Amino acid sequence: MKKISKLLLAISFVLSITSSAFAVTAVSWGGAYTNSQKLGYGDPAAKKLGFPINWVDYSGGLSEITAQKEAGAITWDIIDVYAMDTINGCDEGLFVEFDFDKDFGPAPDGTPASKDFFAPMPSKCAVGNILYSWNYAYNTDKIGSKKPKTIKDFFNTKKFPGKRGIYKGALTNLEIALAADGIKPGKGGANIYKALNTEKGVARAMNKIKALCEDPKGGCVFWSGGAKPPELLVSGEVVMSTGWNGRFFNAQMDGAPLAQVWDGQGLDYQYMVVVKGGPNEADAMKAIKEMMSTEGLAGSAKHIAYAPFRISSLDIIAKGEPWYKDGKTNMLPQMPSAKVNTKNYFLVDPLYWADNGTELGEKWEAMKAGLK
Amino acid sequence: MNTDTKQILTSDGIPLEKSLKKAERVNKIKAFLLVAPLLLFLIITYISPIGDMLTRSVDDKMITNMLPKTFKAMEKWDGQELPPEEVFASFLSDYKILIEAQTQGKLTQRLNKEKNGFNSILKKLKRKMKSFEEGNTKEQIMLVHKRFADVSYWRAIKRTAPPYSIAKYLKAVDMITDENGSVVKVEENRRIYVKLWIRTLEVAFFVTLFCFLMGYPIAHLLATIPMKYSNLLMICVLLPFWTSLLVRTASWMIILQQQGVLNDFFVLIGLVSDDNRPEMMYNKIGTYVAMSQILLPFMVLPLYSVMKTISPSLVRAGKSLGGTPFTTFWKVYFPLTASGIGAGSLLVFILAVGYYITPELVGGASGTLISNNIAYHMKQTLDWSFASAMGLMLLVGVMAIYWIYNKLVGIDNIKLG
Repeated sequence: MKKISKLLLAISFVLSITSSAFAVTAVSWGGAYTNSQKLGYGDPAAKKLGFPINWVDYSGGLSEITAQKEAGAITWDIIDVYAMDTINGCDEGLFVEFDFDKDFGPAPDGTPASKDFFAPMPSKCAVGNILYSWNYAYNTDKIGSKKPKTIKDFFNTKKFPGKRGIYKGALTNLEIALAADGIKPGKGGANIYKALNTEKGVARAMNKIKALCEDPKGGCVFWSGGAKPPELLVSGEVVMSTGWNGRFFNAQMDGAPLAQVWDGQGLDYQYMVVVKGGPNEADAMKAIKEMMSTEGLAGSAKHIAYAPFRISSLDIIAKGEPWYKDGKTNMLPQMPSAKVNTKNYFLVDPLYWADNGTELGEKWEAMKAGLK
Repeated sequence: MNTDTKQILTSDGIPLEKSLKKAERVNKIKAFLLVAPLLLFLIITYISPIGDMLTRSVDDKMITNMLPKTFKAMEKWDGQELPPEEVFASFLSDYKILIEAQTQGKLTQRLNKEKNGFNSILKKLKRKMKSFEEGNTKEQIMLVHKRFADVSYWRAIKRTAPPYSIAKYLKAVDMITDENGSVVKVEENRRIYVKLWIRTLEVAFFVTLFCFLMGYPIAHLLATIPMKYSNLLMICVLLPFWTSLLVRTASWMIILQQQGVLNDFFVLIGLVSDDNRPEMMYNKIGTYVAMSQILLPFMVLPLYSVMKTISPSLVRAGKSLGGTPFTTFWKVYFPLTASGIGAGSLLVFILAVGYYITPELVGGASGTLISNNIAYHMKQTLDWSFASAMGLMLLVGVMAIYWIYNKLVGIDNIKLG
């Protein structure tokens, strides 16, 4: 008996080593989002390429990968990151620089990859994955007879008393504060960033948030993970919360009584990078090519309401509606890029945040620590 | 003593002293070998990381090596007005070398940390410098972006010149070296760390106090009631101690949140109205409650083990000599437990000062401590040298408390059992 168990142990050990040697490790934000990536393009790509793709959760930022690199033991191959982090990570030499037309396949009609992407990449290391939104939602059962409709309503504690769920960092919070304070975003939010480039604009945004958090009729609960906003809303801990539209959508599909407000939404892109000198760089490049293909990106939209980064993927979805996995929900109107949702929006500016992120972060933390 | 006392010899003619020393040496080596693994373990996992932290927090060599010519040219510049042409030219040539080696990104990141706004202008410079003409570098660089014509950016570069700097330590107490080299406070809306240090000490102090107030009666009860009940009670103390920290913190969240169990109960018995539920979570109250409960066993256990050794006859003797119950307690029993109080308080206080996960989860904005800010700089801003500096300050602070305690009470008086 002892011998057999020893043998089993040895076999499982060998197996775990060999399987991890073949596998590509992809790192993303967890929950419904990672699920959409795994089911939408991860598993199909793995099946096609013949090696497993393992999904690992993290909460963003470059600290883990930097630590892995410093320790000389990199275990991640592909990471899903914010635009700002692709810029900083590319600078630090953490990620592989892409040759877009060579490293990624063309659209079905032959359009080269670089022309098929929605927007130019923020850095050479980034490949666009999805377009998502920072919008806000409320609980339809608890809000009362009046419903919030605009970004101003999010800050209106007189009409809608109760606490608000807010992202833990300054990112996008300063933008919505200014949008609610009366600055018209302009084309892609240009007016907002123009204001944020001045000390006065930043102070104005900070004060707006501070006023909301210190308002006895308001108050703030800070969230960090994408699963938290729907949870805060359903439990009634907050009356409204900012969040990521896909997470709200999935909660709605699971039966949560939520409604999303798109006015003043922040459109943002999410990117994938390949780690330079990762454990399995060659396979990782193959995997990312497969995953970021037209079909791959369209596949992930079957599971979550984020818009794929390739224009050609949208055609597939349009033809395949109702595209959502339940077979009855149309996906295109749920996407942040849909016409009805983009009446008043801003594009999150990665260059602005790469430039000013640390200083704004300090001011933001100081503001938070001083909250009464 | 008589100096020419004959040396005592062993049976084989070697002086006894020598032979004893020899035997002892073997024993010493054996003893050392026995502790060697632990020593090695401590050096690898404890001493060397602290050493690494220390060097990291003051080391600024990377940028000194990246811009050698610039810093040399800057030596003569007084920092009042825009630097001369020479500085611009040397900066450009340093930058060119870095671009060839493809390490300019690290410079960008480092300078952007020193002063925000470098990120985009350096990238713009990289694109534009290809079409630069010979000579008159200053004009051409200043045309790239208006920030290059702003003297504060050049001062920021100059500030990074020394290979070692204590800037991170200054930053941790909301100070900064200004243009004239004198240390001043940072602007009002960026002051945060002094506030956090004070809050950390305040929370640690009150958590220790609450633990003491709650733990003392429990420990007394445990030590005095009959064995068969005290065992049961002991399990009640230890069971939460064995439960995962995260589970306990999460349960407090369920109990204390606005729509939580406790608030529901208050509403049910009519203590508060439904739309006016008190906030007991995501603020300092949540931090106090959760941390006190989690750290309570660290107070109870040392107290209990000390109280267990106090003979009940002492209290009886005090009473028989005419003392009231209070006098007996205060004059006889309490002083005897002082060593346990010292041990428990020191343990709880030191653990509380560095507490991270509980305040992170239940503290909200007003209940987060310095450790959360250390984590923030480790994870978000990647300013590891700053995180190291704060970590070291925390360590030195704890050592100072230990030292003061030793001076006031004496560390030998601590009793864990």
